[in-house]
Amino acid sequence: MSQKIKEQVKQLLADRKIKGFLGLREENGHVMPYLFCDPQELDSLSVGDWKKPGDARYPLNQILIQLAMAYPDETFAVLVRGCDERGLRELFKWKQLEEGKVIPIGMGCPDELAKACECEKPFPDCQIDGPKGKGAPSQRISKIEAMALEERFQYWLKEFNRCIKCYGCRNICPMCFCNECSLEEELLVEKGDIPPDNPTFHLVRAMHMVGRCIDCGLCEEACPAEIPLRILYKKITEVVAEEFGYKTGYSIEEKSPLNLIEVK
Amino acid sequence: MAKKRLTILQKLLEFSGIHPERLRMRWVSSAEAAEFVHEITEFVETIRKLGPNPLKERVAA
Repeated sequence: MSQKIKEQVKQLLADRKIKGFLGLREENGHVMPYLFCDPQELDSLSVGDWKKPGDARYPLNQILIQLAMAYPDETFAVLVRGCDERGLRELFKWKQLEEGKVIPIGMGCPDELAKACECEKPFPDCQIDGPKGKGAPSQRISKIEAMALEERFQYWLKEFNRCIKCYGCRNICPMCFCNECSLEEELLVEKGDIPPDNPTFHLVRAMHMVGRCIDCGLCEEACPAEIPLRILYKKITEVVAEEFGYKTGYSIEEKSPLNLIEVK
Repeated sequence: MAKKRLTILQKLLEFSGIHPERLRMRWVSSAEAAEFVHEITEFVETIRKLGPNPLKERVAA
């Protein structure tokens, strides 16, 4: 299904509009990020289909930030899904990437993946390839909301207690770009303490996801303890939308409520 | 800004099973002693009704 993507990237490279295209490549049975600078390499382009369609995902925007820092004058194209596009918009607003130096190449996710992700919008607006799937509502949030307060407390206590403080959720997060991280602050998070202070560690991270989390779900995929982190951040994103009418990553102009001084 | 954060944090606490009324924010100037006393007294009463913090056991352990 990547024919249209290949054609567009070939054209962009031929016109010298981009230095390279950050996408995925399949090699020796593995799907991994790759910067395509030569049109001939595009034959090995992958859209992340590994065992199931689209299941091999990487925080490409995170790699793009590194590339942009190393080559500040160059323009790059990047493979984006619905979530990545939301991420790009927020990263532009947070001044982590320059809009004029990024060309998003959009592809839609298959319904199967959208459903597994409980993704609200599994396709980008700049879509040129792939299916334009239907969004799937989150059923996991309402499941927790149906619990009584005490039951919820016990639920999260049990989940968070499995945390081995590997920082995998933070490290894979394409929206975590702070040079100094609160979760490494010794006054907040004691060294050598496992599981980390429960629930402080995870609630601090959740609060820092306000207006940032674009619901890509990579944190939950990365978590070796299988903590349902996505539900937590999804809830935060829902609260921001309900209380402040701000939908994270949906607009390029509108700013997060925590980036605006005025009181609504 | 703090008010916005508080609104979100209260919802997050509620979602994770901690009573949102355990967190409260009020603006009281240093010239309003009576107001300050009133707020604190009321907060203490609220907390007393809610009972001990479920997290307390973990801290002691």
